[in-house]
Amino acid sequence: MAGADSPSAALQRRDLCARGIRLAGKMRADVINLLDTYAERQGLDASANVAAVEGLPLAAVEGWDEQTGTQRLLENLAAYRAFRALLAQMLEEHREQLGEADAALGRALAAVLLQVSAFTYHLEELLRLESCGAPSEEEQEEEDGLPPQPHGLFEQKLRGLGVLRELAQWALRSGRDLRQLAKPSPGTGSAPSPAESP
Amino acid sequence: QNLKCVTHNLHKMICNWDVSSRRRHGQTDFCYTTNDLSPPVCFKTKEKRVEIPVPESSSVVTITTNSISGTPFATKEFEIHKQDVLFIPVTPRILSLTPDFSTSTLNLKWSDNGSAFPYGLDAFWQIQVLRKETMEKVAEVTYHSKLTHEDIILSWNWTSDLPLECMSHYVKIRCYVNVTQFVGLKDWSDWSPVEVIPGKDTDPSGSGVFPLDTVVAVGSDVTFCCVHEEGQNITNMTYGSKPYPMIQLSSRSNAIRVLNANASDASGTNVVCRYNSGMLEGTVLFVGYAPDIPQNLSCETPNFRIIKCTWKPGRHSGLYGKRKTKYSLFERTSGKNVSCEVHEMNREHVCGFPVIPDQKTYDFILGVSNPIGQTESSLLVDITQRVHPKTPEKLTVSGNNSTSVHLRWFINGSFAEIRLLCQIEISSGHSEQKLHNVSMPGGKLSAYTAQLNALHPYTKYQFRVRCSAADHFWRWSDWSRIEEYTTSEA
Repeated sequence: MAGADSPSAALQRRDLCARGIRLAGKMRADVINLLDTYAERQGLDASANVAAVEGLPLAAVEGWDEQTGTQRLLENLAAYRAFRALLAQMLEEHREQLGEADAALGRALAAVLLQVSAFTYHLEELLRLESCGAPSEEEQEEEDGLPPQPHGLFEQKLRGLGVLRELAQWALRSGRDLRQLAKPSPGTGSAPSPAESP
Repeated sequence: QNLKCVTHNLHKMICNWDVSSRRRHGQTDFCYTTNDLSPPVCFKTKEKRVEIPVPESSSVVTITTNSISGTPFATKEFEIHKQDVLFIPVTPRILSLTPDFSTSTLNLKWSDNGSAFPYGLDAFWQIQVLRKETMEKVAEVTYHSKLTHEDIILSWNWTSDLPLECMSHYVKIRCYVNVTQFVGLKDWSDWSPVEVIPGKDTDPSGSGVFPLDTVVAVGSDVTFCCVHEEGQNITNMTYGSKPYPMIQLSSRSNAIRVLNANASDASGTNVVCRYNSGMLEGTVLFVGYAPDIPQNLSCETPNFRIIKCTWKPGRHSGLYGKRKTKYSLFERTSGKNVSCEVHEMNREHVCGFPVIPDQKTYDFILGVSNPIGQTESSLLVDITQRVHPKTPEKLTVSGNNSTSVHLRWFINGSFAEIRLLCQIEISSGHSEQKLHNVSMPGGKLSAYTAQLNALHPYTKYQFRVRCSAADHFWRWSDWSRIEEYTTSEA
């Protein structure tokens, strides 16, 4: 974490973290609901085995305990930027494939995308507070590039399932990361070990 | 011995023969006559095969076999009659064999080599479609064409009952030309070399479920195949949530056959292939209906700037998004075509077409299509007889005196080509509602006025107005907002 905080910066960080934790919790609940609806509307088995999705950030991480606050934020930011692109693609595919047929699912997808965008902005705020600033969006897009096009519609459906599942895991992890971050520096404290992380 | 002559083009013939003696022999002296008058044509050849002209009626051939040292040791004379000559067309040449995987259709193109034959002859083409490395014949057709003394490229389509990706498909072709004026024997040409469209099961990294994301009509029978990589095993194949019995097509290709498919959900019906590893591969089938003929097609203009056509779409196709039913309005006189932005969830569909300056009559064709089929509906309409003005706006009432008022309103649109009929509704607390009709020349984006007399002094009135075409009534506009006015005291 950055050097010792001034009281106001620490207060601001704790407030941002608290709001972030609430955002992550709400997002996770909405994503889990969306997952069930998505699986049902796409004719998928919710427990279907999904192959690795290229460009999908994985929530599981080794050495979660040892991560600095900035590392946590940077990883979270990269992940949610990736999710924003993946969800935007899912929404576009939804419009292309279903048009107005399943407006409810479309709205639910758009709502989650909105939350992911808000959470991304929130992370950028936190990083600005860490006075190291968020990496520019372009750098990351160059690194990640556009989400790959799936081979067919079934693969597209499965990929969507995989994205939502991983997003739910990330929302869980983000809550934990932000709780770690909210602790007064230096970041000690008995945060749950990575095993418990998603 | 066994002198046989074959012609491929009715002009030249290739003759070959056998030599019975076992002695080693050198060159052969070959002589032939073209007709009774001219001397024989002779030449030497090492082959037991020559190409000479097809005789007009018959030709005498003398073959002298010489020893290595050049001394003749056997001579034989043959008379070849034209009717002994065998006509076999040149083996057809396949120009292209093109797969359309989305429709499981093969397109074959070949040249008919018509320039080699007189005009108007009947040609028959036998085409065989074969599958698997074992070349099992799955289709054989005879296709007929007329030769035109020019080389024409012929084309033939074949739709497979299972996806072309599932296994390799081969095609070969041969032909028979019915040369009526040729008295000799006639036979089929040789088969062309086979052309192949390899199946995905021959591609080392080929895998997947096919056909990929296709659209079929309700009631169709569809065959799906799962092509898997070497060493993978399939647990089962399901259509929707129902497992189907698998048919093995090849070592890396299994199929299921779905009969009489029901309409699918908006997101389609998943066809899933489960492997022992737990991994899934799949495709999506969209099952819907061809579009119905649009009913009650009707067109009107609200303002002589746009023509608004409406219709009842009939049964919903069950297809959505980019597969949904699309509509376009084509106007024959002007040749103008407009694609319609239609919201599939609405019961009534609407499409706007721009009014064309100086054109009153419109010959509309409403085209309707989706991946399963297409249809159309047509309408001939004179828009001056289909005027449905917009709601009159900005109605104002002013008083001239205690028993008459002056009304003024505005209608968005240009009606200069017609006369308008407007109806004013007059209501007041204690007398019966009255309707007052007034007609006036239409204007362009203009206001309209009317005078009402014989009103009661010092009385509160409610006025509202609606308009339509005067000469060819079609529909009233909606009523304007009500405007209240109290006449002055007498």
